[in-house]
Amino acid sequence: MKGMLQIFQQAVPAKGLSSRNNFVPREETLLEIAADGQVRGFCGHVDLGTGIATSLAQIMAEELDAEPAQVQMVLGHTDQTPDQGATIASESIQVTARPLRRAAAQARLILLQRAAELTKLRVDELDIRNGRISTADGSVDLGFSDLVSGLSVRCELDAKTPVKPVSRYRLVGQDLPRVDIPDKVTGRAVYVHDVRVPDMVHGRVIRPPYGGYDHGPFVGRTLLSVDRQSVAGMPGLLDIVVLGDFVGVVAEREEQAAAIAAALHLTWAPVALPNLSDPLEALKANPYTERVVLDRGDAQAALPELSQRLDREYFWPYQMHGSIGPSCSVAHWQEGKLKVWSGTQNPHMLQADLALLMGLEPTCVSVIRHEAAGCYGRNCADDVGGDAALLSRAVGRPVRVQLSREQEHVWEPKGAAQLVSIRGGLDEAGQPLAYDLHTSYPSNVSPLLALVLTGAVPAAVPQVAQMGDRTSVPPYAYQNARITVRDMPPMARASWFRGVSALPNSFAHDSYIDELAAAAGVDPLEYRLRYLPDERAATLLKATAAKADWQPRVTLPQPDARARVLAGRGLAYAQYVHGTFPGVPAAWAAWVADVEVDRLTGVVTVTRAVVGQDAGLMINPAGVRHQLHGNVVQSISRALKEQVTFDTEGVESREWGGYPIITFPEVPWIDSVLVNQPEQPPLGAGESTSVPSAAAIANALYAATGVRFRDAPFTPEKVKARLDEALGPLQPPVPTALAALATFGQPASPAAKQRNWKTILRAGGLAGLFAVVGGGLSSLLPWRVAIAPVPPPVPGMFSQSVIDRGAQVAAAGDCAVCHTVPGGIENAGGFGLKTPFGTIYTTNLTPDPETGLGHWSYTAFARAMREGVSRDGHHLYPAFPYTSFARINDTDMQALYAYLMSQQPVRQEVPSSRLTFPYNIRAFMAGWNTLFHSSAPFTPDLARSALWNRGAYLAEGAGHCSGCHTPRNALGAERWRSAYLAGGEAEGWNAPALSNLSVSPLPWSEQDLYAYLRTGFSPNHGPAGGPMAPVVHAMQALPDEDVQAIAHYIASFDTRQPTEPVLARRQAVLAAAATQQALDAGEGARIYNTACAACHEGEGAHLYGARPQLALNSNVWAKTPDNVVNVLLNGAPDPAHGSANTMPAYRDLLSDRQIVEVVSYLRRTMAPGEKPWPNLPERVAALRALAHP
Amino acid sequence: MVASVFLNVNGRRHEVVASPATPLLNILRNDLGLNGPKFGCGLGACGACTVLLDGQAARSCSVRLDTAARCANIVTLEGLSADGKDPVQLAFVKAQAAQCGYCLNGMVMTLRAFLDAVPNPDERGLREALKYNFCRCGTHMEILCAAKIAAGLKPETDLT
Ligand code: FES
Ligand code: FES
Repeated sequence: MKGMLQIFQQAVPAKGLSSRNNFVPREETLLEIAADGQVRGFCGHVDLGTGIATSLAQIMAEELDAEPAQVQMVLGHTDQTPDQGATIASESIQVTARPLRRAAAQARLILLQRAAELTKLRVDELDIRNGRISTADGSVDLGFSDLVSGLSVRCELDAKTPVKPVSRYRLVGQDLPRVDIPDKVTGRAVYVHDVRVPDMVHGRVIRPPYGGYDHGPFVGRTLLSVDRQSVAGMPGLLDIVVLGDFVGVVAEREEQAAAIAAALHLTWAPVALPNLSDPLEALKANPYTERVVLDRGDAQAALPELSQRLDREYFWPYQMHGSIGPSCSVAHWQEGKLKVWSGTQNPHMLQADLALLMGLEPTCVSVIRHEAAGCYGRNCADDVGGDAALLSRAVGRPVRVQLSREQEHVWEPKGAAQLVSIRGGLDEAGQPLAYDLHTSYPSNVSPLLALVLTGAVPAAVPQVAQMGDRTSVPPYAYQNARITVRDMPPMARASWFRGVSALPNSFAHDSYIDELAAAAGVDPLEYRLRYLPDERAATLLKATAAKADWQPRVTLPQPDARARVLAGRGLAYAQYVHGTFPGVPAAWAAWVADVEVDRLTGVVTVTRAVVGQDAGLMINPAGVRHQLHGNVVQSISRALKEQVTFDTEGVESREWGGYPIITFPEVPWIDSVLVNQPEQPPLGAGESTSVPSAAAIANALYAATGVRFRDAPFTPEKVKARLDEALGPLQPPVPTALAALATFGQPASPAAKQRNWKTILRAGGLAGLFAVVGGGLSSLLPWRVAIAPVPPPVPGMFSQSVIDRGAQVAAAGDCAVCHTVPGGIENAGGFGLKTPFGTIYTTNLTPDPETGLGHWSYTAFARAMREGVSRDGHHLYPAFPYTSFARINDTDMQALYAYLMSQQPVRQEVPSSRLTFPYNIRAFMAGWNTLFHSSAPFTPDLARSALWNRGAYLAEGAGHCSGCHTPRNALGAERWRSAYLAGGEAEGWNAPALSNLSVSPLPWSEQDLYAYLRTGFSPNHGPAGGPMAPVVHAMQALPDEDVQAIAHYIASFDTRQPTEPVLARRQAVLAAAATQQALDAGEGARIYNTACAACHEGEGAHLYGARPQLALNSNVWAKTPDNVVNVLLNGAPDPAHGSANTMPAYRDLLSDRQIVEVVSYLRRTMAPGEKPWPNLPERVAALRALAHP
Repeated sequence: MVASVFLNVNGRRHEVVASPATPLLNILRNDLGLNGPKFGCGLGACGACTVLLDGQAARSCSVRLDTAARCANIVTLEGLSADGKDPVQLAFVKAQAAQCGYCLNGMVMTLRAFLDAVPNPDERGLREALKYNFCRCGTHMEILCAAKIAAGLKPETDLT
């Protein structure tokens, strides 16, 4: 059965910022009831996790007398819902709900009339309850479906339809569970991130180098060239789209698009960005026009009359919305029509922007709104819709784009910095006589990024928005008050963020009155009440204070200068006024905050917050409380922790480590006081309780310490520095160094002996040399004889068992590690080894006749392996470790030959090596060999066990451990005799000492080494990283016994032992680090705790994967920071361990400054007592400059 | 370089063809069409992508496909229970512990793994267990309340 009842309204042009669409007269449906009895309400606002889908349905169900579950909301779909502007300023309930309520009331009357017709009864004999129409005697029982079936009514909203009086409310005012949560908790909810349409492909954008700026002469005009060749042939590539400074790539798969975006080589012109490293100074220098919004009495004239003058400045930093999910959108361009699935907060505004971007009529653009990660203002949700649209038009398929974390952090329109200065003070009676406030707020309307990047909208001159005026007028009845708003152009990209300018304005108002109260010697609560004319405000403030058991305070704070923890309590009050002045008031809010300050670290903790709110009639009190909690937690985070930092490349806070937010252990107990005012209209509750937060906390800090904090955030280093200054320094105890390990017994020496060149020379110069070499005269020749080429091997030449054995020798020798370029074909050579003498490119080890070993006989191969001479007779460089390989026995050497010659031949030329003098003279190597190389075969040390000798054979021979782990002399020879395994270098990394010289806090036992080599991870030391990771990978093919033998052998060189059991020592090392960590809360600590700790802190049984404890890692104890810095820069994309997390490369995510902070922190806390690494900033810069060490 | 790999996800065996370096998260979302695990940072920092690998909480954005293939069982939010009746899920509904809910997957999955390993934690333990799961909406109180319910603690709460 068909049927439909609809109520519509005539569209009215939305005001101001709320819409950019050209107004088109049209009908907008508000409500419809289908034949199945289901009610749908249509609202242009969207649910941002605030629960309005639930409360709007609740309002409609109330008027309809329906069950809440019968009503479903359609939110923010441009084809279906009215244009009610952006979902901002907490007005969804306050404003947009009104026509919905009336439409529901009107529908109810229509349903009753229809029922009367059907039952031949009078309307007043019928009643609707819980979605059923009935009579008092029960003779009638009809559902909505019975009434709507066969009906076809579409009528205009009648503004005169009466709505229910509050006294008859049954649903509104009741706690109602949120409709969306059951689906969210099971993964059934479809967020915009989860939208998948047929034939969809994946896009990624690459943003320009002016990170976080959307205006200026460089915007849209900085890209110089695109090297498409740099990504040619990458898997999955579909298209590269370039329009002005807009660059995007499309690929079949998401990770392919990400890889292509990372590899695409772009050249940008240099840009000089405004200096925002000190936003306060930048604010002061920013041009402005003044707008006086209040001029009461004569503040100017009163200033000189004051007996106590208080001129103050309050500063608020740039902050981030910081949505947990980076913005995402799917777009589908089809024959001049565009469909965009979006998490936008402003569907109709986005529709207009997309129309402009694509050159379409707005009616050709549909925006389908899905839930997204909470955004509290405006994130990149709109921008990414533009990105997806451009990419979809290019490939003609639906394209999904999700931004990276970095892109969301850098490009989201920030909450703007703000400066509020107040001149004023007290008269003799302690009354506030003058209040002259200036507030400077450089917000902007942040145009859709694609519009300015493509040049569709000029970005040179930014629009000045009038947004600094929210709650700019103080709630207190200052006799002479002047409020001046300084409207100014944006600095960084910014937009509204929860509470907009009201939070910083209120931070100033309510800090200032606290300062006045202290100066007047009056209890801060009483002082406020004296000047608070608004009765609802006073009632709320009193109720909140009472709940907190506020004790009057008239004396100045007297902190104990020697106490480690100082505690205090503060209060604040505000009403959020949104919209351009005079604006619309939302809910009233009051705070009492208790804080504790740790003098040693400077950490401020809010231990309890009592927060009151008067939001008029509460539709869904549970929802209001929910919003209150969210606001309180988020605003504590903002006041204590959050500030966006900038450097010469723009926004420096490019991931969470650079912008930490509050975590579970820091969340206080919150008590809410919800003042019930059912007779009063409902007021927005989505932002109000954020507004007084910072003032309450600053006031509590003052009460605890006697020190005023007028610049947010109240970070540990700031608080500690000021308290140390005011109260005298309180220094943490100096860390006690860990007890050194004792050495027991004689460490082993290698079985093989290196030639002693000093003896050789001493014994008679060159003559002696000849004598000793004995018969090896030929080795001194600059060029040795070529060995005749042989025909390439044919299949079946070698037995499988020999090949298998050869594979093990190759694994022990990690041939593939050096002879394979990353991502290239195994053993085909071409990998560039950086040595102090130049770059050496490894050779092609496949049996290709032209470019590889195809024509090599076994004799030629064995000569190369043992003497370092190529088939054609030229000398090889000892970066190729023939000095070790010489010890491989014949059986193994033959097997290795068989293995290599049985590989698939690969034709691959390798670049020729470029060495510095004298190494560029091959003949020089002949002399070098004479001095440093012995090609004697391996001879076991008979004093040692068979296991040890097996290990020695493998480690000193094929394994060539010493190649990296033994230092080299000035001529590049391993110092085998004097410093075997004492630590060396490899590809820009430290190869740590494996002997007693190791700096690891725990000795390397045989078990540790076995675990490390076999699994890539030792719980007592850490993971195999850097160039060691591929070595462990390669060693997978070695049998356990061989790995065991190597571990046994290497362990014999480290005879350090703790005096206590190893486990106890392990605990002590970790505990020592924990002690230092607890005393260190600066920026480095915050980066570590936010970006690193999730994988590195703790070893909980419920946590997956290897968990490297950095205090146990020799790299933090090492003499140089190189390995720590290298792994931070380059990450660990392919860990050796079988159950390990990858580590991201922070090269593009952390600035040098941030890396220095976190690396210094690691050194300080994880290696307590060790000296700081010298010249760290220079070292970080140098290691960054090595493209890929 | 793509390879065909078998994964056991939510009790079913799946074959996927992708590069072995692909983050497990991409595979779960894009190849298997699962919505529970979310991309939040791709850096192992936020926890939004958490899944259970053989019962342990893992950040699927930071686990490679070849690594994940070594696990016998991969469980996502969808596979926690047939009907959303895992006690942790029920507790989240009871405590209404979501605003936007984007972080929810990580909270639920981390708690599930934690409570399996530590069945009787105190509130401090719960807070520590969730320390590296970020929520921007400030739903911490409700989530903590859900955690306490799931852990059998009294939720003494402001949430009446
Ligand atoms: S998305 Fe994996 S931890 Fe953030
Ligand atoms: S509920 Fe939105 S991030 Fe947690």
